[in-house]
Amino acid sequence: MTGPLVIARRSFLRGLNLAVGGLTLGFSFSARAQKAPVPSGSQALDATAPGLNPNVFLHVAPDGLVTIVCHRSEMGQGIRSSLPVLIADELGAQMARVKIRQADGDVVYGDQNTDGSNSIRGFYEDLRRVGATARMMLIEAAAARWKVRADECVAKDHLVTHRPTKRRLGFGALAVEAARRKIPEPKTVVLRPRSELTSLTANMPLLDGPAYVTGQAMFGADVRLPGMLTVVIARPPVVGGTIVRFDAADALAVPGVVKVVEMPQPKVPWHFQPWGGLAVVAENTWAAMRGRAALHITWAAGPNGAYDSEVFKAALSKAVSVPGLVARKVGDAEAALKSAARTVEAEYHVPHLPHLPMEPPVAVARMTSDLCEVWAPTQNPQAAQKEVARALGVPLEKVRVHVTFLGGAFGRKAKADFCSEAAVLAKMLGVPVRMQFTREDDLRHDYVNTVSTNRLTAGLDPSGRVVALRYRTAFPSIQSLFGDPATPEPEDLQQGVLDLAFAVPNLTAEIGVATAHTRIGWLRSVYNIFQGFSIGSFVDELAHERKADPRDVWLELIGPPRKLSLSDLGVKELKNYGQPLELHPVDAGRLRNVIDRVTRAARWDERGRDGRFLGLAAHRSFLSYVAAIVSMIKRPDGKLVVDEVWVALDAGIIVNAERVRAQMEGSVIFGMSLALYGGITMKNGAIEQENFRDGGRIVRMGEAPRKTWVDLMESDAAPGGVGEPGVPPIAPAIANAVFALTGQRVRELPLIKAMGRQRV
Amino acid sequence: MFLEASKVLRHPRCANCHPDGDVPLQAMEAVPHEPPVTRGPADRGVVGMECTSCHQDRNLENARVPGAPNWHLAPREMAWVGKSPRFICEQMKDPRRNGGKSLAQIVHHNAHDELVAWGWLPGHGREPAPGTQAQFGELVAAWVETGAECPDEGAQP
Amino acid sequence: MSISLRINGEERLLDVDPEMPLLWVLRDVLGLTGTKYGCGAALCGACTVHLEGQVVRSCVTPVRRAQGKSVTTIEGLSPDGSHPLQRAWVEQGVPQCGFCQAGQLMTAAALLKEHPVPTDAQIDQSMAGNLCRCGTYCRIRDAIKKVSGGGR
Repeated sequence: MTGPLVIARRSFLRGLNLAVGGLTLGFSFSARAQKAPVPSGSQALDATAPGLNPNVFLHVAPDGLVTIVCHRSEMGQGIRSSLPVLIADELGAQMARVKIRQADGDVVYGDQNTDGSNSIRGFYEDLRRVGATARMMLIEAAAARWKVRADECVAKDHLVTHRPTKRRLGFGALAVEAARRKIPEPKTVVLRPRSELTSLTANMPLLDGPAYVTGQAMFGADVRLPGMLTVVIARPPVVGGTIVRFDAADALAVPGVVKVVEMPQPKVPWHFQPWGGLAVVAENTWAAMRGRAALHITWAAGPNGAYDSEVFKAALSKAVSVPGLVARKVGDAEAALKSAARTVEAEYHVPHLPHLPMEPPVAVARMTSDLCEVWAPTQNPQAAQKEVARALGVPLEKVRVHVTFLGGAFGRKAKADFCSEAAVLAKMLGVPVRMQFTREDDLRHDYVNTVSTNRLTAGLDPSGRVVALRYRTAFPSIQSLFGDPATPEPEDLQQGVLDLAFAVPNLTAEIGVATAHTRIGWLRSVYNIFQGFSIGSFVDELAHERKADPRDVWLELIGPPRKLSLSDLGVKELKNYGQPLELHPVDAGRLRNVIDRVTRAARWDERGRDGRFLGLAAHRSFLSYVAAIVSMIKRPDGKLVVDEVWVALDAGIIVNAERVRAQMEGSVIFGMSLALYGGITMKNGAIEQENFRDGGRIVRMGEAPRKTWVDLMESDAAPGGVGEPGVPPIAPAIANAVFALTGQRVRELPLIKAMGRQRV
Repeated sequence: MFLEASKVLRHPRCANCHPDGDVPLQAMEAVPHEPPVTRGPADRGVVGMECTSCHQDRNLENARVPGAPNWHLAPREMAWVGKSPRFICEQMKDPRRNGGKSLAQIVHHNAHDELVAWGWLPGHGREPAPGTQAQFGELVAAWVETGAECPDEGAQP
Repeated sequence: MSISLRINGEERLLDVDPEMPLLWVLRDVLGLTGTKYGCGAALCGACTVHLEGQVVRSCVTPVRRAQGKSVTTIEGLSPDGSHPLQRAWVEQGVPQCGFCQAGQLMTAAALLKEHPVPTDAQIDQSMAGNLCRCGTYCRIRDAIKKVSGGGR
């Protein structure tokens, strides 16, 4: 998105599966996408341009330029460098002659929610089909011209070649003729063998690298519209709070401040509504920030005004001290615990965690009589479109959402609150508006990751073998954002509990009651963060209790390589991140393999003897398997530091290995930040942190590991997630390494709380 | 008399930038400066993390960044953190450890220096050093006038 | 009050509040949006620019401090993205979301000017003010070392 965000209108396209000029491709991403209303004037490629345009994702111009639409948001995962390659590789295009366009929010693209580590795993086949369809049409056009059989032709390097005669034609030369061909039936579309997907397996260049390093990449805050004003909002410090009275005189006296307006008050359930409060409208950001600082507001806290994280921690502890709703049951854990030779029990606590994307939420909106346009760093432009339409009370087709680069997101920017705030303001003020969250706003008005307490109890037989495991967990659910704030559902244990691939003969998992008192949202790897921390720490505790090697205990608990059925797991259903178990089984063998690989890479058996103190943890999430080892050392000044980290990832088929490695490296730092420092505290209903200090602190350069080793397993399995799965094993691996080094067991995050401010 | 003055000198507002090491301290708990900064070759930080990369000539209330003219760290030989009043007293009189100042210059520096003055106007809800700079200046002047004697080792205010 | 300063080699005369941080002058007044707002409190380094060659956090630097002085932003680090650090950043695949990288590059450029072959400790100390939430630190170190030709 260097330069203006202009994508030509394809106004006549009305939906999927409709033959538009005979060129629309007959496949769809989801039934949901077909049911949803389609905005008129949807944003897509210019189908009136000459050339081959078989669908909304792809255009081959007569000059050979291939344009591919990226319908997923770029937030650092490198999706713009990876996803279009799937299409280009199937097509047989040279990447140097491929141009990427960023899609607006539009149902024609199917699901655009860039979340759940889903971009590759969710679209691997579909997008290859996009490229393969166009390839077949180009080949047919060439075969027709040469009067030869299509199966004698191949498409490669931007050319179609007739193998027997070595005749060649460029894609550009064939584009117009290809466009006249009938679009092949989806079931006749043949995908290439993997060996021919050469770009995918090579290290792809970072497409947007040059734009990033020159300051030319356009992020949300960089959008400039003529006559635009800037807004900073004073939001209620407590979720659901209201303004009792205010005095804006001092704010209005700040030079550059234009106006102070009241924002609409949100109603329960919160969804992604604007937060309420007072908006300071100004000619520039500085004036808006100063104006807000000069506001005098008396707030009423509302029903959440008593929320206190220390008090709530005790409530959670109580919730896991009694039986909860059983979500998973194998054998009879209660009976087995009673008859066990001994039991081991531990309680783990993980606080609310912040997202802290480097770019605080921001959105630009412009309202004209017939259209509201929003430019935003959103992970989910279709949700933003819906939310804005709802906030404005206009039909969906009156809203258009343009996606900029996202300066980090981590789940925060899947929430459309900042988009609807900007849109509401643009309507109220009648001028284009840039609504900017300050960093303080980002922390105080975050959809924080939930807070949790887990109590794990294991029963051991006389030989030390684990014969029973009772896994109790309590945390306010994300569902509270959309409905009832207090009812736990078995579904809430999908992440890391129901799919925990353990072979313990008696195992139960129970959910305790926990009520939400703030806006809870999902953060990179979500519930897996604390489930991974609990189980990853508990296995280490069991090993210590038994004086056994933690790796051996992991492997014993996982049991032999096998695919676990629902009855093996003891669950009625498994959402399995939206994928069928047949395609993405819970595979104990793959979890064993990553442990095996990472322990070999880290020379696990030499630990201790060579002065290194290592911690190990492993976790399945988003259909991928990750094991991590952290080496912890004590510096001469007594400070504990992470020295080296090893990560082994089995994510099935890997697309763009270089970006996948980068995701693992980043996950290590992300996991370190939440393990060492992350911790939102609530007092009188409000978040206490307000910048990159204290609980908002994140890892800095000097704390980054000296070296991070990433081992990507080669696999033919269907692609799993990559963006999130690297995070969950990091915190427990760190805690286990701290234990190995110091003998101190830390069962609560952030570690700094137990280790002391100067020691970690 | 010096003991009285040492209440100011050893107050975290003053002592935090007279560390006995390469890292300035902050807050009343005297914790290491965050973001992590180091003394550097001239007590003004290292390239990329110089004191004046962030600190301005005055306090910034919105950003909570404290500031005063010539913001920098006291040289290593002027360390006060963890030192006794007597040690600091001897140090203050020693031209090799006080920046080559005469006692008259010491008095003037304490009474009028703009960076010293920050100790009483620290901004953003920070607890100021005890008293006022004027009072502190008078105290130091009186100490010099009465012979600049140092307290016994172990003596505390 | 009018302020005159040189930005990326170009003389500018501005009629702005002298207390306005340089960051907002760059972004809101001059439209130079390569310099980013990340915290407004000199904690993250996303707004890093050079003032007379020295690293400053523009979010806390009142524009009056730049009166009569020379400011370099990411847009002026090189005319065409050809600074050795910019090239190394692309080749090593440093950026993830890219938002902090302008600040990282400005600090790294100042570091290499003073220490052409920095040690690991020098890199860690000088880069300590630049946060990256994506966690690209190890690659930043590697890219700086690549440009410096080793650096141990």
